[in-house]
Amino acid sequence: MAARWTSENEVVEFRDAQATAMSVDCLGHHAVLSGRRFLYVVNLETPSEAPRKIGRQSKWDVGTVQWNPHRAEAHLFAASSNQRVDLYVWRDGCGEAHNSLQGHTRVISDLDWSWFEPEYLVTSSVDTYIYIWDTRDTRKPTVALSAVAGASQVKWNRRNQNCLASSHDGDVRIWDRRKPNTAVEYVAAHLSKIHGLDWHPDNEYILATSSQDNSVRFWDYRQPRKYLNILSCQVPVWKARYTPFSNGLVTVMVPQLRRENSLLLWSTLDLNSPVHAFVGHDDVVLEFQWRPQKEGSKDCQLVTWSRDQTLRIWRVDPQLQKLCANDIVEELMEGMTLTTESEKTLRSPDSEPPLSPSLTVDNSQGQIESLQSGLLSSGRQDSPGLPQTLQQEFSLVNLQIRNVNVEMDALNRTCFVSAHCGVNQVRLVVKFPAQYPNNAAPSFQFVPPTNISSSMKTKIQKILTDTSLQKVKRNQNCLEPCVRQLVSCLESDMEDGTNPHAFANSVTPALPAFPRVTNTYGSYQDANIPFPRTSGARFFGTGSLVYFTRPMSMHRTVPPAEPTPRSLSALSAYHSGLMTPMKMRSESQTSLRLYSGSPTRTDKEHVSISSFYYKERKPPLSAPRRWSVQTIHDCPKSRRWKGKREGTDYGNRPIKLAGKVIIQEISCLLPIHKALAETYVLNVNDIHDTCQKNAAAALAVGRRDLAKVWALASAATSQDLCPDSDPDANTPWARHPFGRKLLATLIEHYSHLSDVQSLAMLCSVFRGQGSPQDFFTLYGPRSSGFTLHHSRYPSYTSSSVTSGSCSSTSDSTSTNWNPTGRESEQVPPWGESSPDDYRYANQLYTDPREREKEQHDMNKRLLDPANTLQFDDFKKCYGEILYRWGLKEKRAEVLKFVSCPPEPHKGVEFGVYCCHCRSQARGTQCAVCKRFTFQCAICHVAVRGSSNFCLSCGHGGHTSHMMEWFRSQEVCPTGCGCHCLLQSTF
Amino acid sequence: MVSVINTVDTSHEDMIHDAQMDYYGTRLATCSSDRSVKIFDVKNGGQILVADLRGHEGPVWQVAWAHPTYGNILASCSYDRKVIIWKEENGTWDKMYKYTGHNSSVNSICWGPYEFGLILACGSSDGAISILTYTGDGQWDIKKINNAHTIGCNAVSWAPAVVPGSLIDQPTGQKPLYIKRFVSGGCDNLVKLWKEEDGQWKEDQKLEAHSDWVRDVGWAPSIGLTTSTIASCSQDGRVFIWTCDDPSGNTWTAKLLHKFNDVVWHVSWSITGNILAVSGGDNKVTLWKESVDGQWSCISDVNKSQGGLSSITDTQQNEQ
Repeated sequence: MAARWTSENEVVEFRDAQATAMSVDCLGHHAVLSGRRFLYVVNLETPSEAPRKIGRQSKWDVGTVQWNPHRAEAHLFAASSNQRVDLYVWRDGCGEAHNSLQGHTRVISDLDWSWFEPEYLVTSSVDTYIYIWDTRDTRKPTVALSAVAGASQVKWNRRNQNCLASSHDGDVRIWDRRKPNTAVEYVAAHLSKIHGLDWHPDNEYILATSSQDNSVRFWDYRQPRKYLNILSCQVPVWKARYTPFSNGLVTVMVPQLRRENSLLLWSTLDLNSPVHAFVGHDDVVLEFQWRPQKEGSKDCQLVTWSRDQTLRIWRVDPQLQKLCANDIVEELMEGMTLTTESEKTLRSPDSEPPLSPSLTVDNSQGQIESLQSGLLSSGRQDSPGLPQTLQQEFSLVNLQIRNVNVEMDALNRTCFVSAHCGVNQVRLVVKFPAQYPNNAAPSFQFVPPTNISSSMKTKIQKILTDTSLQKVKRNQNCLEPCVRQLVSCLESDMEDGTNPHAFANSVTPALPAFPRVTNTYGSYQDANIPFPRTSGARFFGTGSLVYFTRPMSMHRTVPPAEPTPRSLSALSAYHSGLMTPMKMRSESQTSLRLYSGSPTRTDKEHVSISSFYYKERKPPLSAPRRWSVQTIHDCPKSRRWKGKREGTDYGNRPIKLAGKVIIQEISCLLPIHKALAETYVLNVNDIHDTCQKNAAAALAVGRRDLAKVWALASAATSQDLCPDSDPDANTPWARHPFGRKLLATLIEHYSHLSDVQSLAMLCSVFRGQGSPQDFFTLYGPRSSGFTLHHSRYPSYTSSSVTSGSCSSTSDSTSTNWNPTGRESEQVPPWGESSPDDYRYANQLYTDPREREKEQHDMNKRLLDPANTLQFDDFKKCYGEILYRWGLKEKRAEVLKFVSCPPEPHKGVEFGVYCCHCRSQARGTQCAVCKRFTFQCAICHVAVRGSSNFCLSCGHGGHTSHMMEWFRSQEVCPTGCGCHCLLQSTF
Repeated sequence: MVSVINTVDTSHEDMIHDAQMDYYGTRLATCSSDRSVKIFDVKNGGQILVADLRGHEGPVWQVAWAHPTYGNILASCSYDRKVIIWKEENGTWDKMYKYTGHNSSVNSICWGPYEFGLILACGSSDGAISILTYTGDGQWDIKKINNAHTIGCNAVSWAPAVVPGSLIDQPTGQKPLYIKRFVSGGCDNLVKLWKEEDGQWKEDQKLEAHSDWVRDVGWAPSIGLTTSTIASCSQDGRVFIWTCDDPSGNTWTAKLLHKFNDVVWHVSWSITGNILAVSGGDNKVTLWKESVDGQWSCISDVNKSQGGLSSITDTQQNEQ
């Protein structure tokens, strides 16, 4: 668990609590969870024990629950429920309601105990009043603040006993309880509803508001027009609360969104990215509170309650607390004043709170000025967030840097840094003066076996001096930054030279700097992004399996029993760990290896998926901090590291993070065989022979089942079983159980096996089988069987160009063009649409003999004609596979057996309309006006057979007449003046 | 005989997230956390780096080859919220199009069947699915399904360009009308089927069975059978096989293939649709085959059939 270095200490599940609110008492002993039927009091010392219950009778959920924050009254807590507040006493393991406060007329939105007077409690309600109660007199509130608008939050100032703040939609009002009629100050804080309000623990003027508008804003209410700072989140913020330690802020998202279950810890000094995410809850966090520290303990504890019905206690140790007090002082200065720890030191914690805001203005401004000057000057001695002694720095420093070995000697205030990069070796003695790090920089001196050039030495010396001075000016430690600078300097020098192991034909430009978007990598937005795949397998083509896995040398940092995290935000822990010395404190730090930086980058803040995994080839445990050349050579030699790579190159390309991609041939697992495809034949003229040859081919590849099937096919296609063309003769073989049914069974069987090869071959053979002449009729002029429709719509030939007239000429007729019957629906767009066709269509099936014959044709088939399309699909799929195998001729052979239904109709449709009465006509004579539906413009006779029309004027006639006319003329023969040849595409 | 025919050392500087072969099996594209996409010529067991495509600003999650009808086109998607479509022209690879319409990491891309033209579906952590269609002249038409999966979409996979259910019900003589359909999986633990109707994408089905994020979905290729099959895998370690025999495509039944101990990241179908490759957080690849009676069994750990296929991960171990 070392990797998850701030994992919750305790997880307790209260499955049926259904609690809506939670509170931790001021002694840190108990937490109360408020469910609808019971209040549960959890002993935080032994949270896994069954909680004590206090029954309650109310149909309302508890809105807010809060323990009295005064030690003397620590046994009291208040819970609001609809319009009333119940006061409970908790003594000796049992509790009871002893009083209630009733006065509000609408639901109570918030309540807060005074920080100064243990008897006082403030409640806010949507009834627009804010009541301050003295719990000794519960009949009515002592003060009623009239807000006119309903309040959602109310909070006492922590430093001024008369001051309180309430939120009303997007506004904040500051009240002085002695002036109940009107608010002291209005702050138009947000555009959307404020969900959370929190006073700064140490500064009486500063408060934080969290809102639906996706931001947390920090205010000094004396300057209500401009916020001090803003924290932009991507999601609405439910609560933002200051931490008991300096400069921290914890946020949670609005529970209704159910997007983000983590609590985020921010440093108020740097709001660009969270310092830490408390990842663990499976559902949204409903409430979080700080558990007061025990005497002598430096750890803080965060108690959280989530909708996943678990109570979690998270430890926040001093190192994490320290992260909130990071060293970006410049940003602090720009961003105006957010209180820092120096202010806290200026003010004694138990100083008398000022009586009224007006009295303290000058005083506090003075404080801010002194804060600024304090930060600018170098005299800040007591920065609690930073290590005090060299010993401390040495113990905390994170020197898990590749190729660097640091030997630290705190007693003599020196340390030896050995770095190795390619052929370059550097050994440095760093001496720390007594005042270090308070504006006193250490000295750097090169000692043997340093082998870099003198110009390089000068360069490095300068870089190190600059870096150290920069840090000690702010009284900060500089060892780690200096070492990192040294390494990056050496590495960049290496890259200037030729890299002998660059990929032969790869021109790899330097990677662009990681842009802004990826700075948030591992941040809370990544909670939505799935954890990246680091292994995978995919089938390709006809028989390849491509797969990649993590290199075998990489193992997960977490125990194998723990599943891989689901989202990328799990990496945030590693991310933070990377930037801080945190992991050093853990004794099993070897489990957190961060080989994230690629050889070409030294960006130490880059975090990678590989952070989640660690390498087997790690330095011996006895010297975990010595990641030096020596230890690398101690590693067992791997086959992959051959020859020269082993020595000098090792530093440059340490260990592979990318595994190999393996391509495997798995075609033997598939039901299809390339060998079979090559030897199978399809000869329609001799089906019998085809079957026998195919049976032999199947035997040759070991498919005995297929050999039998081909034998069966051979039998079924025997000439003896050839069906009679006379319907009155014997029942065709297809109707026999060994006929169509047998074949259907075979097809079903091979369908289950997904053997598309056998399916397609069988379908092709039986398609061609039976009566060869029948097969040919499909492509011949005569129609038969179910392919009758083919003949009705003879295929388009290039010689018969245009026929029919265009529908778009007249709006009034356009609706008439819509197909009304089945026949017209299937009129081909550019066919020789002689009216004869229609007559033929109309007479379809009128002759019972023809009908019987057709039925017989259907019955003769061994393949069920109803499934023709499916059979075609088998052939097409097999054709596709043959194509991938490169057997294009075989593919063509199979595809010959695909039936070719007409293209689905698209585009313009033509019909025949009487040119006189505009009614739809069938045949040559109009059924309505009894005139010729279409007269030839030349001979004035009704047109039957081949005809041509002008698409522009609609005139035309017999094809032969038209051809003759337009051989010499350009205009329409009717004299309408249309230049038919130009208008139409004759 | 199952045999390793090639082992490609990608020289990626960080972990690999996807590897895909092109239609002809001659080229391999890989992508990695090092923000690059590499293309290797793997003909005849070789491994020649053809291109090292740089353009993404974050880890690249997935690559996808388009059908060769449209040229050598590769799409890649990344944490940097971009989808880049690369095209090879005269031997050099260049950006053909960059799509930046997502607000979060793009996790999955999939080219549609070639019958529909160049059409790419992209699933993103912003919950949306984009469908990019090439309309010629370098123009791409973009349709976006917003909030396809609340929290985020993790995987997309196209249906084959047939409507299997309607194959036998089609009036004879009519070519089946292809309907564009795809399946997606997301952080709402759902598998969703989408269908294009009148140019608009509509949710067709919602399949519920997983108890955690769905990590991959795979629509099985069609070989002309009347059953549609989809595989889905999830963070919860379960792999489900969804089948639909209903011509209207409305009734899907789930069958649990296996419950793994760790997250399952990938499912992939063989060309005949009867073998499923499953891989996940345990760093193992298993192959599953459907028997004639419809039962699924693992075939990759046992010595079986003509070859004696040992566990694939073992094979790799020997390689290392």
